Amino acid sequence: MTRLSRPFQRGNTRSRGGLSRSAGSDTLAAYLFIAPAIIGFAVFVGYPLIRSFYLALTKYNGLAEPVFVGLGNFRRLFTTDPAFWPALRATGYLVVLYVPLSLILGLALAMFCNQRFRGVSLLRTLAYLPVVLPAVATITLWKFILNPQVGLLNTVLDRLGLPTSLWLQSPTMAMPSVVLMMLWGVGGTMIIFLAALQAVPTELYEAAKVDGAGPWSAFVRITVPTISPIILLQVILQTTAALQTFNQPKILTNGGPGFSTSVLMLSIYNNGFPNLGRIPQLGYASAQVWVLFVIIIAVIALAAKFTSLWTYSDNTPD
Amino acid sequence: MTTLPTDRRPRRLIGTTAWYVTALFVAAVMIVPLLWMITIGLKSGSAVFEIPPRLLPREWTWRNFIDGPQAIHFPRLLLNSTIITALSVLGGVMTAMMAGYALARLRFPGRKVWFYLFVGSMLLPGVVGLIPLFQLYKSIGWYDTWLPLIVPAFLGGNPLFIFLARQYFLAIPYSIDEAAKIDGAGHLRIFTQVMLPLTRPAWITMAILAFQASWNDYLNPLVYLYSSGKWPLSVGMAAFISPFAGKTPDWSYYMATNLLYMLPPLILFFVAQRYFIQGLGSLGSTTQK
Amino acid sequence: MNTKLIGAAALACAGLLTLSACGGSDSGSSDGPVTVTVMTWESTQTNAVIKKALASFVDPNIKVELLDTPSGQYGDKLSSLTQAKKLPDLFWCGNDTEQQYTQQGLLVDWTSKLTGDFGPDKFVGSAIENWKTADGQMGGLPSLMNTYGLWYNADAFTAAGLQIPKDGWTWDEMYAAATKLTGKNGAKYGLVADQLTGPDGPFTMSMYAVSAGGAPFTDNVNHPTKAEADAKYTEGVQKLTDAVKNGSVAPPGYDASNAQSLFAAGKVPMMFGGQWLAAGFQVDKPKVKYGFAPFPQVTTPATLYDSVGICTPQYTKDQDATFKVLQYINTKVWDAVLPESPVAPPAYTPAQASYFDALTKAQQTTVVDTVKADLAAEKTVGVRFTTQWAQQVGDLTTAEYQPILSGKKPITNLPSYIEKINALIKSGG
Repeated sequence: MTRLSRPFQRGNTRSRGGLSRSAGSDTLAAYLFIAPAIIGFAVFVGYPLIRSFYLALTKYNGLAEPVFVGLGNFRRLFTTDPAFWPALRATGYLVVLYVPLSLILGLALAMFCNQRFRGVSLLRTLAYLPVVLPAVATITLWKFILNPQVGLLNTVLDRLGLPTSLWLQSPTMAMPSVVLMMLWGVGGTMIIFLAALQAVPTELYEAAKVDGAGPWSAFVRITVPTISPIILLQVILQTTAALQTFNQPKILTNGGPGFSTSVLMLSIYNNGFPNLGRIPQLGYASAQVWVLFVIIIAVIALAAKFTSLWTYSDNTPD
Repeated sequence: MTTLPTDRRPRRLIGTTAWYVTALFVAAVMIVPLLWMITIGLKSGSAVFEIPPRLLPREWTWRNFIDGPQAIHFPRLLLNSTIITALSVLGGVMTAMMAGYALARLRFPGRKVWFYLFVGSMLLPGVVGLIPLFQLYKSIGWYDTWLPLIVPAFLGGNPLFIFLARQYFLAIPYSIDEAAKIDGAGHLRIFTQVMLPLTRPAWITMAILAFQASWNDYLNPLVYLYSSGKWPLSVGMAAFISPFAGKTPDWSYYMATNLLYMLPPLILFFVAQRYFIQGLGSLGSTTQK
Repeated sequence: MNTKLIGAAALACAGLLTLSACGGSDSGSSDGPVTVTVMTWESTQTNAVIKKALASFVDPNIKVELLDTPSGQYGDKLSSLTQAKKLPDLFWCGNDTEQQYTQQGLLVDWTSKLTGDFGPDKFVGSAIENWKTADGQMGGLPSLMNTYGLWYNADAFTAAGLQIPKDGWTWDEMYAAATKLTGKNGAKYGLVADQLTGPDGPFTMSMYAVSAGGAPFTDNVNHPTKAEADAKYTEGVQKLTDAVKNGSVAPPGYDASNAQSLFAAGKVPMMFGGQWLAAGFQVDKPKVKYGFAPFPQVTTPATLYDSVGICTPQYTKDQDATFKVLQYINTKVWDAVLPESPVAPPAYTPAQASYFDALTKAQQTTVVDTVKADLAAEKTVGVRFTTQWAQQVGDLTTAEYQPILSGKKPITNLPSYIEKINALIKSGG
């Protein structure tokens, strides 16, 4: 990571004046270079935003033309739909359970792997391994690991004389099981923290040691403040990703038992793309999309209040 | 922090032992599920449901590694995944590099605005596009083709890549362009012959990220493709174990094939491990000044 | 890497476009024979037999093509094809799909074609009745009858000193047996009954009420006017709730997708299920001695009815050709398919003999008896609503009914659940 960050600074300082002499003909070239991205932005960002907002206000099954219903979809969502509040609750539960655990375990693992022991690089590789594997492959594998009767987890727990569980089939344990499966990929969080930890100047720790600080106080006084931008970034990325979790509940439980794992994304999918020939409710699903969208924007706005992470750090003259 | 040397020997010994015990546990958590998957792949279909379950198969059914992929149509799915992934990696990296180059090194009106728009669109949840784009693809005849999975990549599909590319381009000294311009090189030549070689680590990292995103994608092919002959591995594999009308899927076939499904990214990981780590690390570094 | 490469990529894209556009089913022009496409949800083995049987359909102007569809994704695929307006000429569909699609004007109405040797009287009465929509259309034809009952592990019953389930046994006997079988020989639950505890549970429970002389959950699954839970119905729910509570019946949320394998391995002693599992058992050969019994009763027999069929989209190219193939499937194909893969009794009664013969030959006599009894049953209840708003009922069931079964909500909440469904019937119907 330092490999990337160092050149930036060099580039930024040298950039002054570099562009100022460029000719006007640059405009044409520049627009040719970013033309694909601009078209993509219009088609895959601009259009869907406007269209999905319109669809959210309609009744639409994909077969006939949409019929405008105003706020009808939202009224049904918030008042009569028995599945909506459980979906919000399941989504919130997943975020509250997954994000802190992923951050704490990821940081702990990163610190654990940031030590000089023989074999530590092998451990890093192993910890990162699940992240590399295809999501569907690992989720389906865990679906079987968590099988209460023939799965690996209960088999091992049983042999060790520990209590077993119904895991995905228990209404109370289903979401923790989904989160457990997702935490198998904690290596992804670990790697980012590891990069951040390695960038913390060792002189700081040495200075702290001279001051007589123990490991815990060094962690609180040096490590955490130094990597705090990364922690915040991780909170935002992980929260927005967790809010959009789809693969795990879709493959592991399909939302069950009851509504215990029926997160918002799954509910959107099931309303918009229902199976067995049921008629889709695309307008209704679009309304749900907008609820999710607003939640995500709110989370980001909240996080942005604490930091100025995404500011435009351009030093070049305009 | 063991970077701080400890002074007393017995304490260090305890620390070392504790570290290795913990490391062993972590390693086991990561690796045992995969080993177990292989044992399921080696069991016969009915042995999978023996209770209490045996950790090792009684009979080693090696044939599962041939029959399983055949039942799942693995070769076909692999070919589909390879084509889809190769094209979307190519498109995603190419257009992001182009946009990044323009945003970082060319001066033109609207530069800031476009940069903000691209970065802003990183925050847009993918699901917002799902329904409108589904309808759009349907109306232009792209439904049940690979185009919805590939064309977006050729249109600057991933704003994160544009952001990363721009950051990397900013880091290259401008004197290099100047020298090339004096030699009479146009932007296209500067981009392809000067910049691309210089930014090798950046686009390899992006290519790996793009590979992972495309190889792993499940929701998009699930929504846009219904012909099983066109499915990538993600949908084809998941389809094989989704139950229908009370028929139990063949888990031993599945697990044997699952190993093959994991192999391409695994091989890539071991070949280009440095870039994998860098890829995620760079995410953090771009914000840490 | 320069313009050449970009050009090459564009070319590759263009090539891909044509390739994928050509990937779809491309039927011949008007002068050649018409291709009639068929899509089923059957297993690979059954599909292979169907393909063979369709090969003997001879008509110089018609070519029949069986599409290859993994059964696991049939539900998703059906919805996708509907959206793409690319439904095959003949596709397997449930009663609910047929009702909903016909109301949307998506399907061909075959009413006028049902005459003579292929008249409505040649089909199982309840099937024809249920395939008719409110305005008397038939958006497809019933093909196979799904009957349901109880699969039991005879060895487990004998070992526990219990009487083998048979015609006329009661719900109380079933629950008592479940309690006794629980925990024996690796069986976690004595009874796995997804039909009772899953999303269709409230409908299945009607069997208890009807058998006891009470009223079913709803008066009509196709055109309901009301839902109700009378005293008998409530009693049935109470008994199930007690059985879930004492751990002998798998609770709502139990993943029934592996139940068939666990049953075959002897780890599920009793399970509710359809007759179609017999075809699978014939291939897999369970280690245990097993049988198929009718559902339990209170005083009179009662069972579930459910028929599946074959539908045709409005945009089929040649209705007459499609109907010819449809007729061929209903009258001839089963005779070839069922001996090899006895999945279900045909709705077209003259074709039923081959199904029962095949099962008798395979010594699945309990299946023969139970299916026959089910088909002849006088008191039957539908398996689920077939209406447009059926999914919302499913959500209500998850939110209100299943928690009662798992003991999370008191049974006194049953009336409020019924009330909400009645509100849906009023607003949606």
